[in-house]
Amino acid sequence: MRDLFISLFGKPEGIVLFQLIDATQFTIYLSLIAFIGGGLIGAAITLARISPFRWARKLSLGYIWLFQSTPLLMLLFLSGLGVPRLIGVDVNPWFAASASLTIYSSAYLSDVWRGAIESLPQGQWEGGYAIGLRFLPVLRLIILPQAIRISLAPTVGFMVQIIKGTSLAYIIGFHDLMAIGKRWANSPVDGTEPFLIFPLMALIYFALCYPLTLIARRLERRLGAVSKRPSVELG
Amino acid sequence: MEFRFFEIYRNAEYLALLAKGAGVSAALTVTGGVLGFLLALLLSGARYRKLPVAAQISAAYVDFIRNTPLIVQLFFVAFGLPMLLGYQWPFWAHALLALAINFSAYFSEILRAGYNSVEDGQIEAAQSLGISRLVIFLKVILPQAVARMFPSLNSQFIFLFLTTGVISEIGVNDLTQAGLYIDSRTFRSFEVFISLTVIYILLSLTFKAILTLMQRRLFPWQGAR
Repeated sequence: MRDLFISLFGKPEGIVLFQLIDATQFTIYLSLIAFIGGGLIGAAITLARISPFRWARKLSLGYIWLFQSTPLLMLLFLSGLGVPRLIGVDVNPWFAASASLTIYSSAYLSDVWRGAIESLPQGQWEGGYAIGLRFLPVLRLIILPQAIRISLAPTVGFMVQIIKGTSLAYIIGFHDLMAIGKRWANSPVDGTEPFLIFPLMALIYFALCYPLTLIARRLERRLGAVSKRPSVELG
Repeated sequence: MEFRFFEIYRNAEYLALLAKGAGVSAALTVTGGVLGFLLALLLSGARYRKLPVAAQISAAYVDFIRNTPLIVQLFFVAFGLPMLLGYQWPFWAHALLALAINFSAYFSEILRAGYNSVEDGQIEAAQSLGISRLVIFLKVILPQAVARMFPSLNSQFIFLFLTTGVISEIGVNDLTQAGLYIDSRTFRSFEVFISLTVIYILLSLTFKAILTLMQRRLFPWQGAR
């Protein structure tokens, strides 16, 4: 692969380009970890937010508020420097970056999903209870199939925020596209000037994010049209 | 494991640094927000009026900025552009430019949604009175769009404020930079970053309170949310 890039673009451009694209895989892995981890924790927080228990609702409300108000940069510093120094252990940048991005994503995703669930009419719950179902069956059979449709577009849209968020992980020593690109931009090698490297990096990030933005837009148009149809027919 | 917050808050030098950093962060965010809003008016206006070329440039610009990380934009503005065009500004000016560029793209999308929420009937009524298109935009569409979208603009502004810590990476003496300096002196990283987080949260609550007050004053018919 490396040789192919060098033969195509020459030195040093081929090497730089290869290294940037090679490092992009870590940006993608970190984004996936954050999305999956954040999705799982976010689902638990959403469940707590709509559960019949008052304390669980309060707790999840507090969680969402706290981690939506905390800058991602502070989460990274805390998990990469703060907590390790406090308890006196060395923490791998992979772990610290994954942990902070997971917490960050979980707070926003659970807020998106709670919004989708709460946008359904209360009658959907009442109808479920009226035919004798309990909380979880009502949620699984009646609420979730509708809520997932509504939340699909904003969820995909949030993945863009996660990918952009991973660009900060280099600050605690994570080696991704941002870290490698910044190192090249600082190097005195001709052809790696900051005005070439940073636009190139921006293009790579754009190539990762823009397809997701387009999918989110499409989903919004398609599913949005579905949810609007009944009111038009009734009117 | 022990908490030694007093190492920070009993040291006058550190407190002064944090206060100054908070001031710099707040001032740059507010100025960047205002400049970004003005730029967003031009961007969204060009798209709403479907001006040839300008509308396409505006759409591409907004998509590009919204789909790339702020820190890459910041580094390009701070290190790439000055080298390319041969100028040298202070750090804060680079940060301000990058923030204004970043904010403008997000505000522009919100404003566009606001313009589209104004009913056609109002525009048709204004047209039938013979009012020019520019005046219709400025006097009929824009005020209502801003009023309706004010809550979204607020929350977007506060969300963006929480991302401004990255300007410390180009050497601006903002709140994050003050924290990093204290961290390098005391090695009390946990206490330092918890303190920073609290200050960031307090600042964003202050912004929220001020913006809600502004909304009540500017658009009293809206009912503050």
